[in-house]
Amino acid sequence: MSSFLLQRILQGIVIMAVMSVIVFAGVYAIGNPLEVLIPPEATQDVRARTIARFGLDKSLVEQYFLFISNLFQGDLGQSYIYNEPVLQLIGNRLPATLELVLTAVLGATFIGVPLGIYAGYKPDSVTARTIMAVSILGFSVPTFWVGLILILTFAVSLGWLPSGGRGDTAELFGIDWSIFTLDGWSHLILPATNLALFKLAIMIRLARAGTREVMLSDAVKFARAAGLSETTILSRHVLKLISIPIVTVFGLELASTLAFAVVTETIFSWPGVGKLIIDSIKNLDRPVMVAYLILTAGLFVTINLCVDIGYAVLDPRLRRGRAE
Amino acid sequence: MTAAGKPISEAPILEVRDLATHFFTRAGVVKAVDGVSFSLNRGEIIGLVGESGSGKSVTGFSLIGLVDPPGRIVGGSVKLEGQELVGLNDAGLRKVRGARIAMVFQDPMVTLNPVLTIGQQMHLALAAHESISKRAARARSAEALTRVGIPDAPARLDAYPHQFSGGMRQRVAIAIALLHGTKAIIADEPTTALDVSIQAQILSEMRELAREMGTALVWISHDLSTVSTLASRILVMYAGRIVEEGPTAQVLRSPRHPYTAGLLRSLPAMAKPGTDLEQIPGTTPSLLDLPEGCPFRPRCDRASELCAKDPPMTRADDRGYRCHHTLEEMVSA
Ligand SMILES: Nc1ncnc2c1ncn2[C@@H]1O[C@H](COP(=O)(O)OP(=O)(O)OP(=O)(O)O)[C@@H](O)[C@H]1O
Ligand SMILES: [Mg+2]
Repeated sequence: MSSFLLQRILQGIVIMAVMSVIVFAGVYAIGNPLEVLIPPEATQDVRARTIARFGLDKSLVEQYFLFISNLFQGDLGQSYIYNEPVLQLIGNRLPATLELVLTAVLGATFIGVPLGIYAGYKPDSVTARTIMAVSILGFSVPTFWVGLILILTFAVSLGWLPSGGRGDTAELFGIDWSIFTLDGWSHLILPATNLALFKLAIMIRLARAGTREVMLSDAVKFARAAGLSETTILSRHVLKLISIPIVTVFGLELASTLAFAVVTETIFSWPGVGKLIIDSIKNLDRPVMVAYLILTAGLFVTINLCVDIGYAVLDPRLRRGRAE
Repeated sequence: MTAAGKPISEAPILEVRDLATHFFTRAGVVKAVDGVSFSLNRGEIIGLVGESGSGKSVTGFSLIGLVDPPGRIVGGSVKLEGQELVGLNDAGLRKVRGARIAMVFQDPMVTLNPVLTIGQQMHLALAAHESISKRAARARSAEALTRVGIPDAPARLDAYPHQFSGGMRQRVAIAIALLHGTKAIIADEPTTALDVSIQAQILSEMRELAREMGTALVWISHDLSTVSTLASRILVMYAGRIVEEGPTAQVLRSPRHPYTAGLLRSLPAMAKPGTDLEQIPGTTPSLLDLPEGCPFRPRCDRASELCAKDPPMTRADDRGYRCHHTLEEMVSA
């Protein structure tokens, strides 16, 4: 087990190193930020000093190693545009994205999995058919459109909920969170619903397919022959048997939504990292782009590692596979 | 030749009358079990034999009310210690299953849940019928595992099914079936998936356990020789019906139904050395469109016009058979 963990962590480090090179070279190739940084009317002298200040006179390789050595000192550079340390810039916005995405993905899982299990357990019931209709809807309707409809319905027509922003926040560990205030929740609920809908559909499908298959298995029949109640069979036998694909998709969805919640954040003017990255691309704000992409890669690596550990916890057969 | 069972005067633990289970498929009605009757005395072992598809498993599942749709019990009666099980609601059946009648399945590789430890699965089976603490459940489970011959049982409770061999897994399943001191167990070919030496071990252990605990067994098998070492009575099933029944020794010595005789001739142990094994010609008929009259007629060398009419069950001196042309005279002559 621990050797497996070590191996996966090493793998993660290699991936991160490769990613940093690709990201750095890629962002370098996108374009020269000089046009953005230096006003056209600047003198030759100002121009030269600016270039030197941002280290843009050095070669790509030199710039890369400078970046890496700063990285190890916890310095991801300064934003060209905001003139703030990148880490602080991202750190100020990450909690907003984090709480939005976690609410959406956790909500989709905790609502979708029971619904899917029910739909798989009683596939011919009216309720099951309704659940499946909802999931088809969740799959086929585009996110931005749902977002607009949500705003039109609940914010504009009914006036029940605000249409954008984070609302009141409360502080924990020196970070502002919306999920700790009622007003924060009223702001969070619409964008979270918007993000959750597609994931809800996936979770329903996964849980339903798994349940249908498992219910026909001899293991379930044997549990019934031993007199177990249907509730116990579903909660103890079935849930655990279907959990592996669910954990996989949970991890993937969590990572990709954290990285790409841009559309929803834009529609609901949610001040998360999505908006920051779009702005930084528009402005060729290299340090922000590089830091954001590397952080995202780190996020994927970490989440995948957690998913792998989750597998081993859930499926004893995988544990053996490694021990031997 | 086997555990003789308790006095016959005692009421049977399981009494099955005219049990019929049909599958309502798109292609038509499959009469998988069609009028099966037998009774099982306390501590008795009876063998239910027949070819693949003859309805043995469906019979077993019908007894504990676990027939999968599109199947359903359409008639007859199953009485467990006098209590009628046919038509009993789900809650009632659940109380009975595992506690008063249990079942062991054919393939031990798939009957246990791969992601729960043996201890967890046994705890669930115990908790299904009594409120029991975790500690007490472990003690009871370890004891049950020891009884079926699993060494180092307390430590094995934390193992997962994949850490056991097939034979050991089947022992675990048997231990689960025995957890509540069940007096009747349906064993659906529990040794078929195992290799021969393990088969023999489990067979003799089962016999011992049944004798010690006074458990009655319905031992299902397609293999007449397995059943003959174990059961005091044999039921021969063909196309959803019992076509012959009687005490094992008598049925083996003088089968009365041509199908039973055919099964006996196809056993390696019964053949003369150096000769080919005899096969019953033809195959099990589709239960969807059974021929009129005796279902064995198309494969029977003794069939006559008489066989176009369904032969009734004839019972005489503890034996029964469904045949117009019984073999009795020929064999004893
Ligand atoms: N779910 C089902 N749907 C339709 N028909 C079924 C179903 N289950 C069983 N049957 C039918 O019932 C008949 C008896 O099946 P059963 O499993 O009892 O046979 P068996 O005697 O146990 O055979 P085997 O030795 O192969 O286990 C089969 O012919 C099969 O076609
Ligand atoms: Mg069978």
